[in-house]
Amino acid sequence: MSSTHSQNSSLTRRLETFSYDDQIVRWFVIATVIWGAVALLLGTTIAFQLAYWKVNGLGDLPWITFGRLRPLHTNAAIFAFCGNAIFAGIYYSTQRLLKTRLFSDALSRIHFWGWQLIIVAAALTLPFGFTQGKEYAELEWPIDIAIAGIWVVFAINFFGTLKVRRERHIYVAIWFYIATIITVAVLHIFNSLSLPVDFLKSYSVYAGVQDALVQWWYGHNAVAFFLTTPFLGLMYYFVPKAANRPVYSYRLSIIHFWSLVFIYIWAGPHHLLYTSLPEWAQTVGMVFSVSLWAPSWGGMINGLLTLRGVWNKVRTDPVLKLMATAVTFYGMSTFEGPLLSIKSVNAIAHYTDWIPGHVHAGTIGWNYMLTAGVLYFLVTKLWRTEIYSKKLAETQFWLATIGLVLYITSMWAAAFTQSAMWRAIDETGKLVYPNFIETVVKIVPMYWVRAFGGTFVFISFIIMMYNLYMTAKKGSVVDGEKLEAYALDESSIEKNAKPHRKLEGLTLVFSVLSLLAILVGSMIELIPTIMSYNYVIQKAEVKPYTPLEILGRDIYVREGCYTCHSQTIRPMAHEVLRYGKPSEAFEFIYDHPFQWGSKRTGPDLHRVGGKYPDMWHYRHMWDPREVVQGSIMPRYKWLFNSKINYNTLPKKLEVMATFGVPYSPEELQNGVALAEAQAKTITEGLVKSGAPSDVGNKEIVALIAYLQRLGTDYGRIK
Amino acid sequence: MKSEVLSRFDMPSLPLIALILFVVVFIGYTWWTLKPSRKSYFEDASKLPFEDDKSKN
Ligand code: HEC
Repeated sequence: MSSTHSQNSSLTRRLETFSYDDQIVRWFVIATVIWGAVALLLGTTIAFQLAYWKVNGLGDLPWITFGRLRPLHTNAAIFAFCGNAIFAGIYYSTQRLLKTRLFSDALSRIHFWGWQLIIVAAALTLPFGFTQGKEYAELEWPIDIAIAGIWVVFAINFFGTLKVRRERHIYVAIWFYIATIITVAVLHIFNSLSLPVDFLKSYSVYAGVQDALVQWWYGHNAVAFFLTTPFLGLMYYFVPKAANRPVYSYRLSIIHFWSLVFIYIWAGPHHLLYTSLPEWAQTVGMVFSVSLWAPSWGGMINGLLTLRGVWNKVRTDPVLKLMATAVTFYGMSTFEGPLLSIKSVNAIAHYTDWIPGHVHAGTIGWNYMLTAGVLYFLVTKLWRTEIYSKKLAETQFWLATIGLVLYITSMWAAAFTQSAMWRAIDETGKLVYPNFIETVVKIVPMYWVRAFGGTFVFISFIIMMYNLYMTAKKGSVVDGEKLEAYALDESSIEKNAKPHRKLEGLTLVFSVLSLLAILVGSMIELIPTIMSYNYVIQKAEVKPYTPLEILGRDIYVREGCYTCHSQTIRPMAHEVLRYGKPSEAFEFIYDHPFQWGSKRTGPDLHRVGGKYPDMWHYRHMWDPREVVQGSIMPRYKWLFNSKINYNTLPKKLEVMATFGVPYSPEELQNGVALAEAQAKTITEGLVKSGAPSDVGNKEIVALIAYLQRLGTDYGRIK
Repeated sequence: MKSEVLSRFDMPSLPLIALILFVVVFIGYTWWTLKPSRKSYFEDASKLPFEDDKSKN
């Protein structure tokens, strides 16, 4: 490369002096370590909450219940921990691969502080119930805008660096970074589109099936383009560096790249198999998800074969060991993913604990392990020293591995138990376990195992923290070391270069191609479904939520009930027996946002309306164990103290009306009065059954109104 | 009921179009990558991560 160039035209070439910005990499490294510990602590906490409900409610504080902490955990793990890790790795490797300092020191710093502020904002809003109610996209609209802004800063800084590079050729890792930056921007912007009610409340512009598709197009590609492609870029840079040998097959890495970028974007609907999503979209999702197996394994094999010949070092060098394990888990979870996307497997596995098990094989096995390897590599390089203790790193490795294996296996066991019990039908055609709670108590032991597994992983992380800290402490920081490289100008193109070799250098063309690859898939999948809104047969009996029910729904979203409950019934015998008629697309057309959920820790609630008397819900929300022995659902005592907030109701109805929800002028004008009247009716019934008479203006009443409405317009259970 | 709704926007041709599109694109970039004339270029490219050690004088 530069050596060949210099032979061609050494006379005319200009030698330039520059230095790397390693300070920003160190900052991102430190942020990664801190937020990683926070994310894992949160994860361990919510794992214990599922094992033992009391962990939810120390003093019945609303902000530390499962439904509110789980979104904080996922956001912290994905965007705070993995996000900072990506930025550290990208900024380190890009400067070196392109022989230049980052484009702008100022932008780098805005990027750093902006991202940390966003994380702090997430921690200050999610526990307090400010959420958009869509998984991994919970953050409210002002934070969404900040994310978009900081992402643009990152993009300018990154593409600016490409512009000022001194290496014409763009190494494959950088391709992965480019695809990441472009795709994440597209995903984030389109999924977050919403209309604000006030500063910290907004409604998704999409409803029901449309919202579900957009959300899982986003959700799956957050996995693809936040947890996979950037980390693969890191793999293609750091594994060769650590092994001190080039990647096994550069060609395979290119095929890996284009295949992933092209295929991943289609895979989202595998989260919605057997729902009321159009059949063809489900088929596309399944076919492309299954095809993902091939390129993913191509990548895994490429990563592992890069280590051929240094296997003896893998045993002793913690960096290589962690990376080799990460790549192996990448292989495992990219095998499991396609498997879970096959409709017949999905029928059994969906909504069970297999899914969290699968996700953690990816996030702990692949993202954490690879990040750990990269962190040891970076800290020793950036602080110019050796690892403080290989022994501690070894301990970390084993704790993390054992913890993860406990996690995965306990969730498999839980999933098979759940699934078998949910589906069991006896010869007379009745459910063998009609009470959902029977299936819950059976798996609580597995939840304990998972919680201890998670604790191991958390402790392993703390050990790494200490090890990295001690490593940095004994090292020293040297900034501004002068480096030299030839400027990239006309003279650096080989005289006889073929056109496609020049193309290699055209980052713009390349970026446009990757953008096209993801847009084609997105368009074909999304547009027909969005458009089909107009074609969903509107049933006269499906009416908008009443004003009070809207308020109740907002409480449902605020408390994160969707983290344990689904709201969509699949057309399967056992589900129909247990939950009622299969859910239909037209039943959700007023659901901004949709609340289908993805996991059934508790039963499906789509047709819970009318299943129980109001008083049952009243007692159940006060303390689920009062009515259901052995329940692990948290109690929601604060709903019995806090008053219904009617202030923003007119604005809420107005926003809904803007979306085309057909509220009558009367409802829009007298929303509050109507809500109060409905609350009064419900209260009278509750008081008759023994509730205190001042319950009328409390949030529990609105929530009951919403729950009792669910699924009743079209498919009330008889 | 379900089929009544789905019949309105069932698009059996779309998965097929998507698949054909993918196969065409796949053949395209695979051919582009595997062309023998690109071998030496890729060999050079795979060494890029090791150039930073060299550029330090
Ligand atoms: C930690 C997980 C979890 C969360 C969060 C959760 N639930 Fe539950 N829920 C359960 C479990 C488990 C059951 C089954 C046992 C029971 O009935 O208590 C259940 C049962 C229910 C039932 C009874 C359904 C039926 O058909 O018998 C309702 C209604 C309900 N939950 C409403 C809610 C609401 C409303 C919220 C949010 C405010 C919520 N749940 C949050 C776990 C959860």
